[in-house]
Amino acid sequence: MKTKFINEPENVTPELLEGYVLCYPDKVKLGAENIIVRANPKDESKVAIVTLGGSGHEPALSGFVGEGMLDCSVVGDVFAAPGAQRLFQALQLMKREAGILLVVLNHSGDVMSANMACQLAERAGIKVKQLVTHDDISAGIGAPADDRRGLAGCIPLYKVIGAAAEEGKSLDELIEIGERFNKHIATLAVATGKCTHPQNNALISDLPPGIMEIGMGQHGEGGGGQKTLVSADDTAVEMVDLLCRQLQPKSGDKMMLIINGTGATTQMEHNIIFRKAYKELEARGMKVVAGRIQEILTVQEQAGFQMIMAILDDDHIDYLNNRKADAPYWTTIGK
Amino acid sequence: MEFLTIDLFKAMLRQALNEIKKREDEFSQLDAVIGDGDHGTAIVTALSAAVKAAEKGTEFKTMLNDMGFDVMLETSGSTSTLLGAFFLGMSDCVSGIALDVVGIKTMFAGGLANVAKQTQARVGDKTMMDALIPAVEAMQVSTSADVKELFKAAAAAARQGAAQTINMKANYGRARNYGERSIGYADSGASSWCCMINAFAECIIK
Repeated sequence: MKTKFINEPENVTPELLEGYVLCYPDKVKLGAENIIVRANPKDESKVAIVTLGGSGHEPALSGFVGEGMLDCSVVGDVFAAPGAQRLFQALQLMKREAGILLVVLNHSGDVMSANMACQLAERAGIKVKQLVTHDDISAGIGAPADDRRGLAGCIPLYKVIGAAAEEGKSLDELIEIGERFNKHIATLAVATGKCTHPQNNALISDLPPGIMEIGMGQHGEGGGGQKTLVSADDTAVEMVDLLCRQLQPKSGDKMMLIINGTGATTQMEHNIIFRKAYKELEARGMKVVAGRIQEILTVQEQAGFQMIMAILDDDHIDYLNNRKADAPYWTTIGK
Repeated sequence: MEFLTIDLFKAMLRQALNEIKKREDEFSQLDAVIGDGDHGTAIVTALSAAVKAAEKGTEFKTMLNDMGFDVMLETSGSTSTLLGAFFLGMSDCVSGIALDVVGIKTMFAGGLANVAKQTQARVGDKTMMDALIPAVEAMQVSTSADVKELFKAAAAAARQGAAQTINMKANYGRARNYGERSIGYADSGASSWCCMINAFAECIIK
């Protein structure tokens, strides 16, 4: 039975991108089929920031194309990595002497397309380096980076390196800034209820009523164990505790805290969760200096949220809070 | 046979494509046990792009580079990533228009090395690596100066490696989630790569 307001299933991706660029013509446009670029590109003397990923996660990833964040987002079909051809085409579009920083979320399809396109790009004389994100901690505390998926932590990373690129940092400097941010960021997802694939109505997750699963992946893949749905405060404390076990913040550390709604949980609930997570961090002696409550990366109508936490260095705080960003789904006025 | 000429290599590629086309449905059915069920189509599409690109080749290096590019640009998915990487890696380690056994060994080792950069799978993980790694290793340890013997050894090792995947449990990629269910079926990628390497040998021996 139909549950979503779509037209022909195979047109979901081009139609959602068309709507998006029609709405924000002063910020974004289609550079080519399924490639979103800035309406006002930045100077070619600066490194371009490019990312890739499947659709179905709106506003991610293309919602963050704009001044001070991404220069280009290469979009695959729903939950599917774009092919190497599309990505190589984008790298050709973004080619410049300063180079391209390609941000890749650690999912096998995305990683493969990125490796393939970068191999071809190098042979075609395009300067490009990859930065792979793997913020998910559901594979276990201290699990090797290769085993950890990239979740919504890529989005504050876009803000940090986007601002640094806008400032004129070199490709190598951006890699250093980004890797240092990657090292101190962790994300944990919790899900409840069910969620369907928009093109074939297949259930991609289906939790019984009253049950939640901590450690759910971006496409409804199970990760952690299922348990009884508990209160906002208890959920927040459990997740803060797990994230702190991964990050090991010390008293006095400056932290970023983001609650990302995955589709069907209300802003009301996100606020309540944020409140407790913030207080829990402060009670442990940490200082939350950058916060956000927003649906930045969704998983269709999946109820639940991702809690993203990072220990920030001073330059990261500056890039996050004080530098201008003007993307359709992330605005920072700047100082 | 002392040398592998570029024309003979093109004939080997065409024969590999023909043999793989004959077994396309079988490879897709094997893939359906634990995957998307599209491997037969994927390998036919990817190898077709390579064969087409090879047609206009006049020397190994550029021809293999063009083959790698076209495989990766005209098709997508893990099958073409690995096959494209194989040809690009070969291109990096080859020159000229005819290869002796040393040249062939170096070329295949280059292909394997570049594939190994694209996947963490190794022997025993129930992937195409179970056919490719033994085949390339068999070439490396061969002491014959006869090109035919080299490919014969590679094909025998590939067949043995692919057959061993029947009793393996999928251990890598999406197939890992299906674990036990994969036992009793050969891996689709090991089967298709084995078919390709075997066709190379058959073409050269006949």
